[in-house]
This record gives sequence, C-alpha cells and structure tokens, in this order.
Amino acid sequence: MNSIEEKLWNYIDGTASPEEQHAISLLIEQDEAYRKKYRELLALNAEFTAIELDEPPMAFTYNVMEAIRNEHAQAPLKARVNLNIIKGIGLFFVLTISAILIFALASVNWSASADTATQVKFTMPNMSHYLTSPLMQGFWFLDIVLALYTFDTYLRKKSNTKMDTSVHSGGQN
Amino acid sequence: MQSKLSDIELIEQTLAGDQSAYADLVKRHQRFVFTLAMRFAKSREDAEEIAQDCFIKAYKSLDSFQRQAKFSTWLYTIVYTTAMTTLRKKRVATDSIDDEDTFVQIENKPSGYEDNAENKSRTFYVDQAINQLLPDDATIITLFYKGEQSLEEIAQTMGIEANTVKVKLFRARQRLKEKLERNLKHEVNELI
Repeated sequence: MNSIEEKLWNYIDGTASPEEQHAISLLIEQDEAYRKKYRELLALNAEFTAIELDEPPMAFTYNVMEAIRNEHAQAPLKARVNLNIIKGIGLFFVLTISAILIFALASVNWSASADTATQVKFTMPNMSHYLTSPLMQGFWFLDIVLALYTFDTYLRKKSNTKMDTSVHSGGQN
Repeated sequence: MQSKLSDIELIEQTLAGDQSAYADLVKRHQRFVFTLAMRFAKSREDAEEIAQDCFIKAYKSLDSFQRQAKFSTWLYTIVYTTAMTTLRKKRVATDSIDDEDTFVQIENKPSGYEDNAENKSRTFYVDQAINQLLPDDATIITLFYKGEQSLEEIAQTMGIEANTVKVKLFRARQRLKEKLERNLKHEVNELI
C-alpha cells in the first residue's frame, strides 16, 4: 500500500494510471490532510525544478576539442591514409601490368607457322645479381618493420575494443 | 552562439568530418554533463576531468550511437559510467560510496552567492542539500528535474529497472527534503 506522500508524488509526476489520477484528485478535493500534503509537495517540486546547473570553466569546450585533436593526431597511420593514395597505387599496378601485357603481346610473332608457334621460347632474366647481400638485408629489415607495425595495430585494436566495451556496456545497462 | 541544428544533425556533420559540429554539441550539453560530474566529484577540477573524459569517449564512439534513444540519454549513460568508475578508483582503499557519513562533497556554491544569510535564496539551500546527498540520489534528482529525462530514460542511464528508479526517486526526494529542513533549521538557529 502506497503512502499518501508516494501517491501524491505519482500524481504530481503523472506516473499514476488514469484511474489513480482521478481517485487522488478527488481525495485532494475532499480530504484536508491530502490537500495540505499536496500543497507542500507541490512547493517542494517547484523548488527542485529551480535547481541551478553548474557552469564549467570558460575554456571547457576548447579543452575538449584540443584533447580530441591531440588524440586524433596520435591515431595510427592506417587511419589517416588518404583513400586517393591507395587508389593511385592500385592504378599504378594495373597500368604496369597492362603495359607488360601489351608489350608481350606486341612482341609475339603472329605470322609464324603453326609448328614454330608451339615452340615459344621464354628467356628468363638473370636475377642472381639482384639478390645481393644488401638487398636481402633490406628485405629482412622491411619484414621486421611490417611485423612490428602489425603487432602495434593488434595491440591498439585490443585496447580500443576494451574501451568501447566499457562504454557500450554502460549504454546498454 | 549555439547552433540551431538538432543533436542528430550535428552528429551527422561530426561523422562527416566536421569537428566544429561536435564543438557545438559539447557547448550544448557541457553544463548538464559538468553538473552530473559534480554530483560525484570532490572538486571542480575532478568534475572537469570527468566531463572532458566523457566528451572524448562520446566522440570516439559516436559512430556506434544508435538513434533509437536520445543523444542526451546516451551521453548521460557515459557520464554515469565514467563518474562511477572514477569514484570507485579514487575510493577503493578508503571507504564506501554508499555510506552517507563518509561521502563528503565539496560545497558547490553557484557564482553570485554570498555567505551572508540574508542574501541566500531558497535555491541556494536546495543546491546545498543536493550536494549533501549520496551521488546516486543527487544524480536521480538532477536527471529527473534538470535533464528532462523520463523514468525509463533514467533507468537506461543508471542501468536499473524503471520501477527501481521510481522508488529511488521517491527516497531521494524524502532525503533531500530532510536535508533541506535541517539546513534551514540550522541557519535559523545561527541567526538567533
């Protein structure tokens, strides 16, 4: 059973059912104790509504945006790479492959007889002088850098997921 | 001057890369977020840190905001979670946040108030009484009266049932009333 005060707060907040609202309004009209309490709570409600909000420091918005800009600057390179650069690299490879294909097709002797056409000879370029020691060292260095970058990305993703989970779990509760 | 665009429009602009739109969102909600943070913090500096942290978290997770709820409800959820976590971290070795006797909050005087009893308005005493409440009680009162939040939205923010919020709100109002009466009585005694 609700107390008078609880009933009246529900009436003031509008959280009671229509039937309850009607019954309480009748009680306020007819019962002096209800009427007195209702006036008291109504005055309190007005006072609570007049609570003042605190004023943050003047530079608050600036500080927030500055912190966001700093965080943004620390974002991994992957997040800041322009999409046009990736498209440009893709275009470069497509053009190179097309050029090689065109050159290869252009160099084929189409007028040769059927017998000779089956005996196409490919001359492989000699790669041994490219695989020198400094080149291999460079290759290994690049591999290590890529491995470290991948590990860094993994750790960042793990830390971001952890933070997002804490934010979202708060949102869903 | 604040933007006339809605929260959702500002969010869309922010997600499209316009940081000034997010600055407008911060300006719009900063007073309430800061006030909520003050309900948990022991100083204005701590409250500022909490509020700033909340806006940064909200910015980072903005793309995950589903527009089924109000932006303010989503933001207040972040504030509540962040403030509770901060409070727990700071008090873990000392005392309990559920113990009213150990919760000593700063006296948060709005600017323009003077200590002269004659100049103190009724609003001052209400603010003073709110600052003496436990964080949960003060948060419910603030969300209900100043945050334009329904019982369901407060429930979502605090991670409890709407019926529990109703009961907690009733109790918080009773405690606030008691504190207010006690403070006024004390003030009258001092004047006599």
